[in-house]
Amino acid sequence: MRSYPSYPRTTELPAEFRTAMQALSAAAKRGLGDAALAELVMIRASQLNRCAFCLDMHLALARKAGESEERLDLLATWEETTGTYTARERAALALTEAVTVLVEGFVPDEVYERAAAQFDEAELAHLIAVITAINSWNRLMVARRIQPGGPAWT
Amino acid sequence: MSTNDNDTRGFVPEHTPRMEWAKLAPDVYKAMWQLEQAARKGLDSSLYHLVKIRASQINHCAFCLDMHTKDALAEGESVERIIQLSAWEESKHFYTRKEIAAIELTEAVTVLTDGFVPDEVYERAAEFFEEAELAHLIAGITTINAWNRFSVATRKVPGHYKPAGARS
Repeated sequence: MRSYPSYPRTTELPAEFRTAMQALSAAAKRGLGDAALAELVMIRASQLNRCAFCLDMHLALARKAGESEERLDLLATWEETTGTYTARERAALALTEAVTVLVEGFVPDEVYERAAAQFDEAELAHLIAVITAINSWNRLMVARRIQPGGPAWT
Repeated sequence: MSTNDNDTRGFVPEHTPRMEWAKLAPDVYKAMWQLEQAARKGLDSSLYHLVKIRASQINHCAFCLDMHTKDALAEGESVERIIQLSAWEESKHFYTRKEIAAIELTEAVTVLTDGFVPDEVYERAAEFFEEAELAHLIAGITTINAWNRFSVATRKVPGHYKPAGARS
């Protein structure tokens, strides 16, 4: 049986870097102007990047903000659902996946254009920023193996 | 002017960026620079260039490769070490053990979608970097991954970057 350590590898993070990360997230979310969508994007990216800490945190925040269990449960399979997410949300989720999985190659024109049809240019820039910010948190938490369930998000 | 206007070999025309994200999201851009400065402060410059180039290769960021290879060359990095970087496992003698540990960590933290950061990769890095420096390294890997995402998503155009020393 494999066992996994339950402790973080390190909790160290340069203080100025942490402050800048918080500024990045705040500016991105403010510019997008849609807190519920931002949570869906952050949950989907955290699923793809397998960030336990981030999933725990953003699922709790989404529930606290009134997101439905059905929409959270089906998020990993959003492409196979109808009527669960809006066209705008689906465009944002497709962009989230493309910008998160860069290693498999670029951000396709059809994905970008689908998002550009649903968001104005400033919103789209901030949506890309939300996706980038959560990707950054995912990296910081997975690399240091920060455990889920630390602070009480609710 | 485009990067290949004077070429007669029939290169594909240069593309245009999808958007100017830094102008559309100035607060985000400012925070990105704060991240960059905070990460850079604790890292050896030549090591950080290798990290930035390797992450940009994995993330297919053309604009970032243009910038960071030119910056590395301008600071005295060898062409050979830059060319060999994507095949470092077969050309380890071009790099120090500490650089290799950092490159391995860069790859693991960049490719999260294939699953976590292995203990052996983390522990090897921890042998060569003390805790605060390792935290800066993780911050640096995270930062170049963030720049890669902005540049690829908005399709920034490579080829026009001039490193600080070459600017007139």
